[in-house]
Amino acid sequence: MNGRGGVVRFFLFLSLLLSIVGCDSSKSVADGNETVLRGALAAKVRGLDPGDIGDTTSSSVASQIFECLYQYHYLKRPYELIPQLADGMPEVSEDSLAYTIRIKKGVYFADDACFGERRSRELKADDFVFAWKRIADIKYVSKNWWIFDSKIVGLDEFREYTKSCKSAADVDYSREVEGLMTSDDYTLVIKLKKVWPQITYLLAHLPSAPIAKEAAAYYGRDIINHPVGTGPFKLKKWHRGSYLELVRNPNFREKFYPCEGDNADTADGYLADAGKRLPMVDRILTMVVQEDPPRWLLFMQGKIDSSGIPKDNFNEAIDQRGGLTTEMRRRNIHLRVFRDPSTYWLGFNMEDKILGKNKPLREAISCAVDREKYIELFTNNRGEVAYGFIPPLMKAYDSHIKETAKAGYDPERAKHLVKRAEEIYGGKLPKLILAMPGTDVVFRQRGEFLKRCFKVVGLDVEIDYMDWPTFQNKIKTKSAQMFSLGWIADYPDTENFLQLFYSKNASPGPNNFNYCNRDFDRIYEQVAVMSDSAERTELYRKAERIVVEDCPAVFLLHGVAYVLCHDWVYNYKPHAFGYGLSKYRRIDSAKRSAYEELLRAGK
Amino acid sequence: MTTYIIRRLLYTIPIVFGVLLVTFVLFSLVGGDVTDQIAGRAASIETREEIRKEYGWDKPLFLSWDSQFFNHLKNAVTFNFGRSWSDRELIIDKIKRGAGPSLSLTIPMFLGTLIISISLSLVVAFLRGTIIDVLVVLLCVAGMSIPFLSFILFGQYFLAFKWGLFPVFFSPDLSTAQYVALPVLIGIVTGLGSNLRFYRTVMLDEMRSDYVRTAFAKGLGPARVLFKHVLKNAMIPIITQVVLAIPFLFLGSLLLERFFGIPGLGYLMIEAIGARDFQVISAMTYIGAILFVIFNLITDICYSIVDPRITFE
Repeated sequence: MNGRGGVVRFFLFLSLLLSIVGCDSSKSVADGNETVLRGALAAKVRGLDPGDIGDTTSSSVASQIFECLYQYHYLKRPYELIPQLADGMPEVSEDSLAYTIRIKKGVYFADDACFGERRSRELKADDFVFAWKRIADIKYVSKNWWIFDSKIVGLDEFREYTKSCKSAADVDYSREVEGLMTSDDYTLVIKLKKVWPQITYLLAHLPSAPIAKEAAAYYGRDIINHPVGTGPFKLKKWHRGSYLELVRNPNFREKFYPCEGDNADTADGYLADAGKRLPMVDRILTMVVQEDPPRWLLFMQGKIDSSGIPKDNFNEAIDQRGGLTTEMRRRNIHLRVFRDPSTYWLGFNMEDKILGKNKPLREAISCAVDREKYIELFTNNRGEVAYGFIPPLMKAYDSHIKETAKAGYDPERAKHLVKRAEEIYGGKLPKLILAMPGTDVVFRQRGEFLKRCFKVVGLDVEIDYMDWPTFQNKIKTKSAQMFSLGWIADYPDTENFLQLFYSKNASPGPNNFNYCNRDFDRIYEQVAVMSDSAERTELYRKAERIVVEDCPAVFLLHGVAYVLCHDWVYNYKPHAFGYGLSKYRRIDSAKRSAYEELLRAGK
Repeated sequence: MTTYIIRRLLYTIPIVFGVLLVTFVLFSLVGGDVTDQIAGRAASIETREEIRKEYGWDKPLFLSWDSQFFNHLKNAVTFNFGRSWSDRELIIDKIKRGAGPSLSLTIPMFLGTLIISISLSLVVAFLRGTIIDVLVVLLCVAGMSIPFLSFILFGQYFLAFKWGLFPVFFSPDLSTAQYVALPVLIGIVTGLGSNLRFYRTVMLDEMRSDYVRTAFAKGLGPARVLFKHVLKNAMIPIITQVVLAIPFLFLGSLLLERFFGIPGLGYLMIEAIGARDFQVISAMTYIGAILFVIFNLITDICYSIVDPRITFE
């Protein structure tokens, strides 16, 4: 029996060892009174070089470090642009082709080794010129050339010149670009090829942030890991794929919390910190948590300050009336609900031989989809039925579009339309293929739901599940017949949606539908150079009606976002376009400690 | 033995060449064009061409000293895998950074599973036919039948969230031992079923041997018979199982790493597959192949150590 006893003793020892190692004795990272904003990202950060950033996750981090000429007012709605690095709004010439922008004085880059012994230097107008030329430089292969493509005088020529250079090192950035000049260190003059009313929105877009040429030269390709910006925070540590730690940038200029906002902002407490110096937290700790279950548990443990609501935890957080559950209220968790500037659809390839010339078929497909059920099943009712492509958040949203749209959910009409579609086709319709941009269970559930909707009205649709790169390739090469996709606006101008239907933007451009309508094109070309006005808004609506009439897509839904945050987070006002908002947040560490205490007590 | 080792090492050259050729052909010919993904939305043809030039995809595939395949070979031999196209980071840096976290998870998991399953298998083999043996086999089958993800979700919810015994997720405030403890425990528990059943079979084969009966007849205690004689004679299948599993430790554990935020190589690999980052996949496959060949050789050498009857003639 000695042998048996030995084995048992060994096991006890091993179990003890594991349990000792496993004990959670986590200590707080915060030192003394240091305030830490804790967040989680659902995807990894790819890089922190604004010129090449093309994803929202990387943008959300980089925008704490870099700033642009303009930004959106944090509190005012509708969204309003205000100066950030610019000293006032641009002076626009009479012909709207020249923009003169003054740069704020006394703005410094964060301390960095790239500046040598000086450690830092003041921001100059030339830093913008360098950053934009860099985006134009073909050797740099930026994802963001679309912003400046054919817009600025001489910049396309500069791009052509870079094509002739043998390597990146051969590109001469001192070469002048007529449309990007600096009359002094603090004045930037932009000359446009044609009127571009959206330019100010793009000057609030992260890729347009200034870059210190010293940083680009010092770090070369590794600049993605070494962001040097003028923003309120600087990067302290980045463990790729795991976490990022940002700390307060001591060089950040005096900047204050807004003193004005919407009417309800005072009552909602968003103006309680008016006039206080920014940023209001010392550190930002951002974890990369790609799976929903651990992200939710971390939020419930108070390890992260705010969170979306995973589909599987929706009922735990939100009751049947759409408010917080008792448990959430007991934990002093707050809910923020806001509209996304988004529209999701099932797109048709208008160049497809079967779909492109058969409008009744497209309408039948549209009439077959039960949007309300779709929203209920796949978003927990976090969406609004879409009848057109302009989301309700946008100024140009047409509340009467529902009456114009004939292709809303109507299975009986869909059946009639299928018959007409068969007459046009000349026989029984062949199997149609819908491309889905994912292979996981949620995509499969969506696919099954749609397949069932189509089957009810007599349509045979096969769902083709594929990974995102394959999907993109199919779209770009016009080889997808139908596809499930959507769009989230980059800026609060409906033009951003209209460009998706402009015939000259057909694949591989953003017009994935390969939609072509001359009337629409004429309106698009007209509004693209118009400033904001009632006439432009009406033209936007007219353009939408044309698209809705032609039915190049089944418009499914407009997103509604639900965000939860703990009561120790202040100034969490939802913003549909804003990045770099962490500087406005305030943390009450005492409340956070009290919550942790509550959890420890098992309540 | 030296001649044998040299000969086996020379064999690795065509094997590794074959791996490189297969991965290259698969990713270059079947994988498709990823320049659109790198270039971003509305990218011009020139941008896509520049990207092809940057990554050398504009060169001929074979039949040139400056072909893509020859450069692929050259880079593999020098371990210069270039930059990942998804984030432009050096691939070798990614691998170096991911190896530590992966191994800190997989080594204790592997050792824990090995020690527990071998020890338990000896016990259940000794107690064969008893209720304990039946129960252990039943638990093993049950453990093997439950999806791995269920163990993760259960462990994360109950052990970490509800009972607070472990941290839910990685955090920079925690020591490595703290944040890998729960995933290691889950890894051990899930690995026990199949391992224990395998080792139990091996041990049972040995327990039926004449020398075991002789040892007991001579009056040796069960512990001495089990740990000194049975275990030693069961070493050949154990070594085969153990040494060949070692290269896979390097590849990390995909699900555990993802659910517990351990930034290891399993995580890296699945991200690369999702993004079709072929350079990363190819580099990982190449390193995996080299490790596999090396550990195969080590297995053979170990055979001769534990069983003197095996020679390299």
